[in-house]
Amino acid sequence: MSALLTLDDVSLGYDGRPVLEHISFTVERGEFLALLGPNGSGKTTLFRGMLGLIPVLAGRIAWGWDRLASPPGYVPQKESLDPIFPLTAHEVVLMGTYARLAPLRPIGRRRRRLASTCLAQVGLGDLADQPFWALSGGQKQRVLIARALAAEPEVLLLDEPTAGIDARAEATIMELITHLHRARGLTVILVSHHLRLVRSLVGTVIWVEDGRVAKGATAEMLQLA
Amino acid sequence: MSHLLELFQPDFLLRDALVASVLVGFICPLVGVYFVLRRMIFLGVALPQLSAAGIAFAFLAYRMIVGVHQHEEPNERLLAMAGSFGFTLAGLLVLAALERRGRETVEARIGTTYALAAAATILFLAADPYGEAQMVNLLKGDIVATSGANLSLLAWTLGAVALALLAFRKELLLVSFDRDLAVVFGKRAGLWDTLLYLLIGITISLGVMTAGPLVTFGFLVVPPLTARLLVRRMLAFSLTAAALGATTAFAGFYAAYRLDLPLGPAEVAVAAVLLVVVGAGRGLVSLRRAGRRSSSVSGAHAPRDDNEHRHVG
Repeated sequence: MSALLTLDDVSLGYDGRPVLEHISFTVERGEFLALLGPNGSGKTTLFRGMLGLIPVLAGRIAWGWDRLASPPGYVPQKESLDPIFPLTAHEVVLMGTYARLAPLRPIGRRRRRLASTCLAQVGLGDLADQPFWALSGGQKQRVLIARALAAEPEVLLLDEPTAGIDARAEATIMELITHLHRARGLTVILVSHHLRLVRSLVGTVIWVEDGRVAKGATAEMLQLA
Repeated sequence: MSHLLELFQPDFLLRDALVASVLVGFICPLVGVYFVLRRMIFLGVALPQLSAAGIAFAFLAYRMIVGVHQHEEPNERLLAMAGSFGFTLAGLLVLAALERRGRETVEARIGTTYALAAAATILFLAADPYGEAQMVNLLKGDIVATSGANLSLLAWTLGAVALALLAFRKELLLVSFDRDLAVVFGKRAGLWDTLLYLLIGITISLGVMTAGPLVTFGFLVVPPLTARLLVRRMLAFSLTAAALGATTAFAGFYAAYRLDLPLGPAEVAVAAVLLVVVGAGRGLVSLRRAGRRSSSVSGAHAPRDDNEHRHVG
């Protein structure tokens, strides 16, 4: 395995004030790892820092590939998206193809087909024309995973993908993510607070607590937790 | 009927005013869809008022620096445009910056902006003894007095705004719907926001000078709200809003001409009536659907949504 993402003595925070300091770890290609920790421990800060959504206050984050040529597949929490937008499920997935689309260039048939294929891969091909806001919580989450796949990424980063959905939908989502990891060899990094889900599916855990971070095998890390 | 046909005559006296009305009615909703989607509707009240304050300030500054200018001077419109656009854009950029950093509510910021802009307009006018008489038409937006030259400027500028909105709709949608994703994709979200604000500033400046703050606010907000009830796709939303805006502007113009009503309020009233009618229609359809659903549920078990838990992979 080779390094996909390296954090070297990194500090992350907001308005110049660090929330996490002196963090160093490496994510290898093909890993399936979860960011775990108590509420308010800095999981989301670390996640947003890894995505480049907040500036690095100190240290360095190095990506093992050209991020602009192949951006990461980002799956936000579904609640962060405003239901006022009149968008169908297909239109939401199509946004994933904008990553490599320069301004003024048309979307084109190939990208529309890619969006349809990604939607079919998450099992929602027949809901393409349904309004996004009218879908159930689990369906919305799968549409957002399809959108991330439409960017044709090397790595999927998911922010609490099972938050606010029922147990059956939760199992379906985790099954889908595990399938994508195994069948496509995608590196997966997810934020979760569900120890039960992580224990059975995820190989590696990054534990975040009191401004510090530790990485290790799931069983070992959960014993320490 | 003869009144309606009169509007289409080539020598119709108010032809330029009619075309200007329809243009403002068409373009304001194209910009307004972003007001509705970004939940900035009240900005639609504050920004036209800021634009009016900008016009008043430009004339006051001109008088203080250069001297008294005469009404209908060639540079009058340019001066008004500079003041209007400068204030609108500056206000937008300041509000956008405060939105990212501020802790007080959005409503507080916009309400304060409106109050400040309204007060400043009156104070600037009071400070300029020549101002009120000369600027009243520009501040009210006397659409009936639209000249051929003004119409050309309006058509070219608003045409460019419409083209830009269409050409960059992917980017503007992405930064509006999911700004974080735009950043992850390496898009310059701040740059696209600035472009959108620039287009909003131009549209509002021209809208206020042509049709006044009331009509500009009305067409920024009402047609998009009506279109939101009718369509489920983004492009259809923008185009429907623009078509409704142009149609209601035309209908309002006809009503004002036929019934001798003030033009701006008549146009806004027609747009608002359409919103109420479409809203009531949607409400009735929803009620009927809910009624059918409850009767089918009481007759049988509700169908299971198989897609929710279908096996994937």
